[in-house]
Amino acid sequence: MVDIVGFVEANLPIFIKILLFPGLLFIFGFVIFAVWYQRKYLARIMLRMGPVHCGKRLGWLQLVADAMKLLTKELIIPRAANKIVFIVVTFLLPVIPAAMIAVIPFAPGYVIYPASGYSLLLFFAISTLFPVVGILRGWAANNKFTIIGAFRMIYLDIAGEIPVFLASIGVMIWAGTYDLQKIVELQKGMWFVFPQILGFIVFFIGFLGMIEKIPFDIPTAESELVYGPNTEYSGAMFLNMMLSDYANVLAWTLLMITLYFGGYNGPTIFPNPIVNGAFWIIVKLLIAISILFTIMITYARLRIDQAIRMGWSYLLPLSLLNILLTIILKFFLFGGVV
Amino acid sequence: MSDMMVYRGNPFNEIEELGDGMFRLHMGPQHPISGQGRFIILTDGERVFDIEVDIGYSHRGTEKLLEHRTFIQGIVPVERMVMIDTANILMGYVGAVERILGVEPPPRANYIRTIVMEMNRIISHLYALGLLSESAAWNPAVFLWTTADREPFLDLLEMLTGARWSYSFFVPGGVRADIPRGFKERLLVTLDWFEKRIDVIEEAWIYNELFRMRTEGMGVVSRQEAIEWGVAGPNLRASGVAYDTRKNEPYAAYGELDFKMVTHTAGDAYARGWARVEEMRVSVDIIRQAIENMPDGPVRVRVPQRAKPGEALFRVETSRGEMNVYIVSDGKDKPYRVKISPASFRNFFAIEMIPKTQTVLLADAPVLIYSFDPWFLDADR
Repeated sequence: MVDIVGFVEANLPIFIKILLFPGLLFIFGFVIFAVWYQRKYLARIMLRMGPVHCGKRLGWLQLVADAMKLLTKELIIPRAANKIVFIVVTFLLPVIPAAMIAVIPFAPGYVIYPASGYSLLLFFAISTLFPVVGILRGWAANNKFTIIGAFRMIYLDIAGEIPVFLASIGVMIWAGTYDLQKIVELQKGMWFVFPQILGFIVFFIGFLGMIEKIPFDIPTAESELVYGPNTEYSGAMFLNMMLSDYANVLAWTLLMITLYFGGYNGPTIFPNPIVNGAFWIIVKLLIAISILFTIMITYARLRIDQAIRMGWSYLLPLSLLNILLTIILKFFLFGGVV
Repeated sequence: MSDMMVYRGNPFNEIEELGDGMFRLHMGPQHPISGQGRFIILTDGERVFDIEVDIGYSHRGTEKLLEHRTFIQGIVPVERMVMIDTANILMGYVGAVERILGVEPPPRANYIRTIVMEMNRIISHLYALGLLSESAAWNPAVFLWTTADREPFLDLLEMLTGARWSYSFFVPGGVRADIPRGFKERLLVTLDWFEKRIDVIEEAWIYNELFRMRTEGMGVVSRQEAIEWGVAGPNLRASGVAYDTRKNEPYAAYGELDFKMVTHTAGDAYARGWARVEEMRVSVDIIRQAIENMPDGPVRVRVPQRAKPGEALFRVETSRGEMNVYIVSDGKDKPYRVKISPASFRNFFAIEMIPKTQTVLLADAPVLIYSFDPWFLDADR
């Protein structure tokens, strides 16, 4: 007989991290907030009101209503689909961004999984699973739109992830560590966006590709591919897709904040360091997604060939140049000490 | 086309049939961009080798319906062809009926018709620009901006005709009502506001770098091809052909007004979008001239019930291009035969021809289609 209660009591801090903050509850809360915020924010730009019926004028209950609707809908599985893969993928997909969030520090020493000093590498290692699961869901649905979407996803992920990784190598060299915790501590004086401005530009454009939002929502391009690899999903499975989509945005935005904008660092407002760190990271997160949504509404979608050309011919050389500049700046001008 | 309509159960059977990893992608009739029709796209995943436009999903037999209605009863079925462009479509029918009845509308009615038709052209072009922006993956931002910009014009039309859309305002022999009090002042204020609004749309959208990347050099129709394929309307003028029925064969009050014809030499999707923005400026100019120079007098004359045996043809420049209406009468109060040749039908033909002459990617297909501003109900009749 396993002593569950004893096990939980012995590991209470880690359970709180996994279940409440920055684990499940935070991710769910962020996704619900982000979808609501996106709808309201974009609606104002589009001269609309956004949801106004459920939950008074703010429409804050609209997302709950939508989730209830999707959960009670019939699950339609195409006749030609590979049923097992089709269903299993929907549960695998939200796990990947959640695992990516596990290595992000939210306060001094407050990480779900510190990865013994290699957390940045682990983040990228997990993120490479996304295209694999992506092509699985495109293939399993056995539909032309999903297959095209899945292949586009792979092209885009390879063209975007390599520049992003190389740009973050600039941060690794500047900080001299793979550990996100130490990277954040080193940004107490100055955010790394200033010495790493070229790397940040490359990272940001690649980051837009990684989260697959306009102008890089090429795999799910609505005007030609309906909803890309997710086209055939309905009901609760569609809900899982939305969850993984926005959790992915959350994970990559958190990485950007951690690498370039000082992570949880900020003026002390709350005496508790964990509350203070979480407060600042959430404030930075809100600013970041507001900028993200503004970009989403003001640009057109790139074509797949234009996006790939941008990745391989501009971002990749720039990220290599950034590594060179970082080495020169750090070891020849600053003498190896940041 | 018939062999494509057979449902084969497994959608991947046709990969074996077509070979080389080719398959047919059915955009529509249930697809975010298709409208009331279908585009059958032959593709290898990214390159489009052939677009087949499958029209007829909303065929209502307008021409046949007209044979069983008196001339004035035919107004309503005709204007349902393009709801967004009712005045211009209706002008074609009413003009042809007037020719076969042998009546001439009073000059004031001609000026009122011109104002209504140009307001309708602005509304239609705004809608077309919104759809073009959505096809190039704006979130519906530009679409909703242009939709909101239509509102003052719809309000003005409601003031003048009593309805926002589909107002059956033109009748054989004139228009149903004269301009109401206060209309002119309100119209001029709206035009001043709208001219500034065009600049905003142009700056936010037409000059947007990513939009230019998507549309410039894409879907090029050369001058020669445009003439051969019978491309119509702003699409034709964007290819450098100076043909506008309002200029070349003036009707209503267009012959007495001085306006310029918008032409562009590039002939690509960007030029077609740009031509529509410029045509809205020209429309504003035409409305200003028409409201200032409007003569006094009656707005409607009595017309005979029956036409003499014979035939009549009327050309009209609708928002999507030239439309021809041909009426044959055998001396009754109903037409013997009506033939309507709409502009969208010919524009669809250009959409089919473009992938045969140049490289089109799958992502280009919606932009290509909406740069022509097609309207399935127009082509279906």
